Amino acid sequence: MTLVYRAIVLFVLLLVISCQFREKDFWKQATAALVVVPLVLRLLLIK
Amino acid sequence: MKTEIRGTHFTALLLLVLALGVSALAGMNFMSMWKDDLFLPAPGFEKHMLSEWHGGLKNTPADVPVFIQQGEEPGGTVFIMGGTHPTEPASATTATLFLERAKVTRGRLIVITQVNAMGFTHNSPQEAHPQHLTFTTADGSTRTFRYGSRLTNPIYEWPSPDIYIHPASGQQLPGKERGNLNRCYPGVPNGSLTEQLAFALTEMIRKEKVDLAFDLHEASPEYPVVNAIVAHERSMELAAMTAMDLEFSGIPIRLEPSPKNLRGLTHREWGDYTETMPILMETGNPVQGRFRGKTDERLAMTGVDKAYVKAAALGYLYIPYDGSQPMEYRVGRHTAAILSFLDNLELFDESKAVKVENIPSFDDIQEKGVGYFLTPAKL
Amino acid sequence: MDWFWPEGFYALLMVGSFAFGAFALKLPIAIALGAAAAVGALAGGEGFPLRHFVEGTFGYLDTILIIATAMVFMKTVQKTGLLESLAAWVIRKFRRTPLMLTMGLMLIIMIPGMITGSSTAAVLTTGALVAPVFIRLGVPVLKTAAAIALGAIYGMIAPPVNVPVMIIGGGIDMPYVGFAWPLLVCTVPLAIFAGLILIYPSLRKGARNEEELEAQLQKMEEATLSFRLLLPIFVLVILMAGEQFFPGTWPPLGLPVNFLLAALSALFTGRPLNFLAASREAVNDAIPVLGILMGVGMFIQIMTLIGVQGFIVVSVLALPAWLMYLGMATSIPLFGAVSAFGAASVLGVPFLLALLGRNEIMVASALSLLAGLGDLMPPTALAGIFAAQVVGEENYFKVLKYCLIPAIVTAVWAVVVILNSNLIMSYLP
Repeated sequence: MTLVYRAIVLFVLLLVISCQFREKDFWKQATAALVVVPLVLRLLLIK
Repeated sequence: MKTEIRGTHFTALLLLVLALGVSALAGMNFMSMWKDDLFLPAPGFEKHMLSEWHGGLKNTPADVPVFIQQGEEPGGTVFIMGGTHPTEPASATTATLFLERAKVTRGRLIVITQVNAMGFTHNSPQEAHPQHLTFTTADGSTRTFRYGSRLTNPIYEWPSPDIYIHPASGQQLPGKERGNLNRCYPGVPNGSLTEQLAFALTEMIRKEKVDLAFDLHEASPEYPVVNAIVAHERSMELAAMTAMDLEFSGIPIRLEPSPKNLRGLTHREWGDYTETMPILMETGNPVQGRFRGKTDERLAMTGVDKAYVKAAALGYLYIPYDGSQPMEYRVGRHTAAILSFLDNLELFDESKAVKVENIPSFDDIQEKGVGYFLTPAKL
Repeated sequence: MDWFWPEGFYALLMVGSFAFGAFALKLPIAIALGAAAAVGALAGGEGFPLRHFVEGTFGYLDTILIIATAMVFMKTVQKTGLLESLAAWVIRKFRRTPLMLTMGLMLIIMIPGMITGSSTAAVLTTGALVAPVFIRLGVPVLKTAAAIALGAIYGMIAPPVNVPVMIIGGGIDMPYVGFAWPLLVCTVPLAIFAGLILIYPSLRKGARNEEELEAQLQKMEEATLSFRLLLPIFVLVILMAGEQFFPGTWPPLGLPVNFLLAALSALFTGRPLNFLAASREAVNDAIPVLGILMGVGMFIQIMTLIGVQGFIVVSVLALPAWLMYLGMATSIPLFGAVSAFGAASVLGVPFLLALLGRNEIMVASALSLLAGLGDLMPPTALAGIFAAQVVGEENYFKVLKYCLIPAIVTAVWAVVVILNSNLIMSYLP
């Protein structure tokens, strides 16, 4: 099950990053960057 | 005033690199909690691993050292378990004190210091707890132990279910409580790692025929069951004798019967699933409470907190609080209570007696501090 | 002053920095929260504690996965035409019985919340389903959003699953047993009240223009309502109900997996659907809220670190008895601005301890109701913001205006229940 959830985290992470690059407003890009941090750390099972 | 900045692919990349950099720095900090603490057992202790009683734990982060010391004279078996909840440091510290000092002359003593090792590798989000506690030993050197989270680190058993259904009773708890060792007993041999850990401990108590088993805790001062002994029906008589002795020696302590409908806890399930006499003990610990102010190592060690002074004046606390609740006092209470239990065990059933020497008294610990009685680490 | 300094000052400083960032500098709420946390940490002598900022966000990691996947589910069923088509069917069937329609639809909004314990799940599933029905039948858009947000919150609090009450009960080791009736007492009268004042008056008036409605209905029925079209809903219902009613035998998949499987089943409805594009659109819509949760996580962690949390909790408990009920009815929902679960844990537990002696199950139930109201409170306002999104309203504050009266009634009801907890329990089976 952990693998499934890591896959979901990866899916959401990639979508967030893709949205970050399509976004035209810097602050909204920054909001997306905020979401990236915990997703990366959980994906790698560090935290 | 509107701070509008145009976002481009370049800024997105910049922000992504920044996010990854922050992740790397924070990640290094989090991983520093994965390193085991140093324990220096007193002569006579043999080191075993808990997986000897439940093979499923082998090579998992749930497997922990079990230290056993056999006295010369035959007698009973006593088990001291610290570190169920890594946010309650007087628990693991008291167990460490016994591990590093005990000389067993009669019967057998089993000690586990950080039983939920998986909880010591991280801190709970939004609690802002310290990561380490430092003690100064007799020669001035220091010993450092981790301050962790009440729950098993999610990296070992993620995701938690939406609702945790206690397998033996069907009791429902918030899903994250599956990572709370003291809700998982008697445990499940093929369950989550925390459930397996609970199972291994129940097995160890059963197979080693433990007569008296301690699960040490701390509670927030505003919680009704604090400065207390919680006893299963089988342990009640012994606990009553001990509570009276402690009262006489100026350590007031509540005695609570283990509730029958609150399942998954040591004082209930160890009693129902094994032959042991389970005892759970609580001291008062401001750093885990909801009223606490500035949260840091100092608070964990001293319990000095002005918000608790105010709460005490308002009558919201269940401990006498005069402005502090230091580690020496909390460890001293646990230590004195265990020693008193050992004395009464002999009165209760001579054949089950366990005698332990070289453990400091309540007054010694108050006077010299806890660190004084820990073994200095030679570098 | 000794009590106020410095924690009270830190509290004002953090809230002030947030307000300055969000309203004067017009930064996104997520960024303003993060910045306010940084200001608080600096003032509290903690420098820039990176570990604490990042650790705080992890309080909501599971929540952001639920939100992201629920949004994906909603987007896909919207794109297949299911939402509109189903709404048209309900309108044709029940238009002539407005009272039954009102109550039935309020119940339908509540159900996913009751089963999952998540108001977001309710808003984004049946809330999204019911919204077009209300709107086509003449209920104003803002009132529709308000009714959905409130229904979702009552659903989250109603049995069988109520996470805030589990959190509050867990704080005093009270098992989650015997809560069904008390929670129904807390929620059902309020759900009826909200339906009656927000929805029923418009439904009773009926359609102003029958022909226009008929034309709209035909447009909504573009995708024919068939078993295949309904597949995602069936999949979701089966997955959620299985997990709730067959614990032990049913694999505990969890909400994110349930939502994604249901969303993926939309690929088999025979309607054109670009799953990836729909998912990206869903996440793009969700990012502001996900970011707010991250900001809130940092904000709470720093509040705890520098002592503001204890200052707030003990200050509220220090109120005189008559003011305490007012304090309770306002502070818990206000603190809910950082999330209903946070309010349940930080304030719900101390209040329950302060009220020991009254029937604890009833009191905890009522406190969870107050915590639930937190899901209306900006900046997070999970129920409210998503309800606004569901009806296509950009400004949540307009929706909040219509939630105000039912929310006040809810808070008053919670206090009434607490004051009479022993009496009420004596009448319950």
